[in-house]
Amino acid sequence: MPVRLLVIFAATIAFPVVAADPPKGVDFAHDVVPILKTHCAKCHTNGTYKGSLSMDTRADVLKKAMVPGKAAMSAMIKRVTSTDADERMPPEGKRLTEKEVQVLMKWIDEGVTWEPGFSFKAKTYIASVKPRRPKLPHPNEPVHPIDQFVDAYFADRKITTPARLEDDAFVRRVYLDLIGVLPTQSELSAFLPDSAPGKRDNLIRRLLDDKRAYADHWLALWNDLLRNEYKGTGYIDGGRKQITAWLYKSLLDNKPYDVFVRELVSPTPDSEGFVKGIKWRGEVNASQVVELQFAQNIGQVFFGANLKCASCHDSFIDHWKLDDAYGLAAVIADKPLAIHRCDKPTGKTAATKFLFPELGTIDPNAAKAKRLERLAELTTSPENGRFARTIANRIWHRLMGHGLVHPVDLMGDKPWSDDLLDYLATYLVDNKYDLKKLMEHITTSAAYQSKAVAIAKEVPNDEYVFRGPEIKRLTAEQFVDAVWMLTGTAPAKPQAAAAIPPFGGATPKERQFVRATLVDADPLMRSLGRPNREQVVTVRPEQLSTLQALDLANGQILAATLTRGAENLLKASPKASADELVEHVFIRALGRKPAADELVAAHGLVGEKPTTDGVADLLWSVVMLPEFQLVR
Amino acid sequence: MNNYNLSRRDFLRGMSAASLATIAGGPPRLLSAEPVKHPAATADTCILLWMAGGMAAPDTFDPKRYQPFEVGVPVEKILSTFPTIDTVVDNIKFTEGLENIGKVIDRGALIRSHVVADLGNILHSRHQYHWHTGYVPPQTVACPHIGSWIARVRGPNNPVLPPFINIGQRLEGNGEQEELKAFTTGGFFGTEFGPFNLPFPTDAADAVRPPKGMTPERFKERQAKYQELLKRSPVGELASDHHHESMVRSIDNAYRLLNAKERDSFDLSKEPKEVFDKYNTGRFGLGCLLARRLTEAGARFIEVTTEYVPFLHWDTHENGHTTYARMKKEIDRPIAQLILDLEQRGLLDRTLVVLATEFSRDMMIEGIPGSTARDQSRAPAQKLGEMKHYGLHRHFTGSGSVLMFGGGTKKGFLYGETAAERPLLTTKNPVSIKDLHATIFQAMGIHARTAFDVEKRPFYATEDGKGVPVKELFAKG
Repeated sequence: MPVRLLVIFAATIAFPVVAADPPKGVDFAHDVVPILKTHCAKCHTNGTYKGSLSMDTRADVLKKAMVPGKAAMSAMIKRVTSTDADERMPPEGKRLTEKEVQVLMKWIDEGVTWEPGFSFKAKTYIASVKPRRPKLPHPNEPVHPIDQFVDAYFADRKITTPARLEDDAFVRRVYLDLIGVLPTQSELSAFLPDSAPGKRDNLIRRLLDDKRAYADHWLALWNDLLRNEYKGTGYIDGGRKQITAWLYKSLLDNKPYDVFVRELVSPTPDSEGFVKGIKWRGEVNASQVVELQFAQNIGQVFFGANLKCASCHDSFIDHWKLDDAYGLAAVIADKPLAIHRCDKPTGKTAATKFLFPELGTIDPNAAKAKRLERLAELTTSPENGRFARTIANRIWHRLMGHGLVHPVDLMGDKPWSDDLLDYLATYLVDNKYDLKKLMEHITTSAAYQSKAVAIAKEVPNDEYVFRGPEIKRLTAEQFVDAVWMLTGTAPAKPQAAAAIPPFGGATPKERQFVRATLVDADPLMRSLGRPNREQVVTVRPEQLSTLQALDLANGQILAATLTRGAENLLKASPKASADELVEHVFIRALGRKPAADELVAAHGLVGEKPTTDGVADLLWSVVMLPEFQLVR
Repeated sequence: MNNYNLSRRDFLRGMSAASLATIAGGPPRLLSAEPVKHPAATADTCILLWMAGGMAAPDTFDPKRYQPFEVGVPVEKILSTFPTIDTVVDNIKFTEGLENIGKVIDRGALIRSHVVADLGNILHSRHQYHWHTGYVPPQTVACPHIGSWIARVRGPNNPVLPPFINIGQRLEGNGEQEELKAFTTGGFFGTEFGPFNLPFPTDAADAVRPPKGMTPERFKERQAKYQELLKRSPVGELASDHHHESMVRSIDNAYRLLNAKERDSFDLSKEPKEVFDKYNTGRFGLGCLLARRLTEAGARFIEVTTEYVPFLHWDTHENGHTTYARMKKEIDRPIAQLILDLEQRGLLDRTLVVLATEFSRDMMIEGIPGSTARDQSRAPAQKLGEMKHYGLHRHFTGSGSVLMFGGGTKKGFLYGETAAERPLLTTKNPVSIKDLHATIFQAMGIHARTAFDVEKRPFYATEDGKGVPVKELFAKG
């Protein structure tokens, strides 16, 4: 313990430089890195350490090259200004300009500030672009291919295979995952007693075939990903366009994902809202003009590539360069696009470039429509493994609660199973980019149909070990839908500007209602995490916050809904006893009957003679249970 | 156990980020590679009095040559439409209508040199976004409001109260509402640190009461039975999962607030009538009263706004003079009373009160000279013809006034200077939004370079970590 304390104390003494004083102008990212890259990096970073000097990290440079706060005493400054041919740095070629030396001196005098986490050392893992078809571990055994990979993974790590999920929990999970709503009582009582061996597979197929329910549910994900909202910033002065009608129809039709993306990237007037971005009135930072929004959104959504850093300067966190971001932006630019580095013009003009140039080029002289067409082609090429992996990972994340690569937008990171990710990606391509097929494939695996594992605390990606599916929180829309369905209080009309078909013939009456995805966000949905959709959003908040809990505890929207719901329930079953009402609510909300002691507690809420207040309180108490709000 | 238990003056390293919204790159974590030493806080609460819609400095806190209304006067002759008045501080003059604040400015500092960005075209909500988050939209991530930053880094002052309370702004049913929502948010910090919105001060008590129509007894009973069901819920080992655990904890927190004595601080009916009347110039005045009560109860960050509604209140595109006479009536007495009440309760020393706005106004110039901003006056005229012509109807970004009271700032202090003649640009000590935020953060004990890891890159409390506090504004060092 004393030793530890001493270390902390020493560290405090050693770096007084980052104390309260704010930086006085030299910026590591924008001023210093370019100099180091030009003059020092070749010989002193990323595996090459001439004179055994490493400049990869701040700790490294402090070992030999410089003394924080004392530029004049720093070896580096002596060497870069030395005229002695044996001393001088760089040893040959162009010297540093006087201005560059000044910047370095100021930087050292100010204490050698460093971009947190930045290192010149390249990451060891490099995500491949090409598709890869991993061999099945046991090609001749009748085991689901996904489980073959998962079992091999478990065996390697001596992890016990999680137990199979019981039918009642499975049915709730699969309904919520595939169509976003709870099963009705009739659906439960048809499924649970059924003893046919293929009943789970059949249910999965039936849910995916329910075109409207599928579209209603997955609309939320795609509105988030494609930044599409019915109301929001940008519409005020025509700087933004919806794609709702196109998107909804695409989901209804289960448009193959490659076609879907081609239509987004090389759009028709119905689908152009995505690539057009949001244009604000007035001037914006050079890295946020609509052309760069285009590049960032294409990169993030379709490739899990973060071009946000690279829109301003070469990225420090991965290999994307300013030229990559601008190269993509140039594809959609109406006129030559001047490259800006940190909001200052570099004097260069962007040349069209695809993020993965090994797949092909885009002719800068072609007309814009042709350039977009070519970009769409390269993006969705079957040779573009990154494209298929990214969506396969998103779908896996949605269904399993955790990505194979996680967070899901960092597709340059290592998946916990290369084989499984590559397998899923090739499966999708083999099946003509049919996302429903992929979902069916995943949900019919034992891996999906196993019990959720409790995760006490999220762990960093490189420490993550897959042990089974994780718990998921209901999204704002799923929660609201579940409440509406339970209480018969859904709005009468959709607000989404789309051609919404009537419900399929087999849809139970309770599920025939206008879903939350089809109406504007109200304060409750907003509070529960439906995003503003000004930026691409790929993951919803996983935890309930205090303010959200407060909205649920005393917010008028939920309170009024539950009161109306109680009235509806009492009107529908005026003669029902308290116990009957409790059972009714439990089955519909939790998919199970109340246990004896639960019945006692719940009975107390409703009262001997059921009243609106009593039933509303019962509804509230049930929808507030984690058992209700989480998908297990 | 307590999420908010950050060591404030120590080096912050490797904090975990529980209860945060997960966004694309994972939950934001406080960055640890470059330790930041937070300054010692000189304030525990911050009250931001927001003059929404662009308050013209020459007609409020930075008087220039006064030109009374006369038919036929060329409009370019007009700088101020109100006469200058003295305040209790010799070298600080205000315009007529701010006599009460003039009497307490010896407790505060006036910055006349707040220069905001000229964004080429005026959209109020965009400038308000810039002011409130420190970043110009659009941005690649959802930027948190300054109140969320303070809530996130300092945590609640009193753990029962939401750390960021937002008074007076409706977010539904008025113009530019989507744009307002875009910055009235915890952004990547998630709703735990987002605003607790109280658009109507007189209804604030409802926000911490059982839902309308529910008696306290019924509310209590509902909670008790809920707890029983929760206890019996067959969740097994999944109760240890972070989703489950945080949900139960948040529900407990909410119930705690709904039952705490601090609830009363939201209830303006508990205030003696004569005090209520002193503040009651309308919603803003009562918002100041509510802010005072919440400060007493231990709030961390409170914004009180005159409310932004396009073309209303400070947003004068015509009839400016008449509107300003009304607006000054609305703010003058309650702001002065707020300062006096905080002082009398011994709270002013540790409460930073800031009055600010998104930009100033001018009779002639949109933006700054040479800006591409288009003319938005609704009463353009070469010469004054009628009252509607009389007022500062164009948005001016070259200088603006900010007040700061308490929280360790200097008293009776004037900072910065503007030209005597048009263009009324800042001539001394310009203070940008970045630097003003750094100053507020400094008082609140937060380093301007505090960074969170968002999508694997640092996101700073002030833009690129470059805000520099205005040291001259602090009483000590």
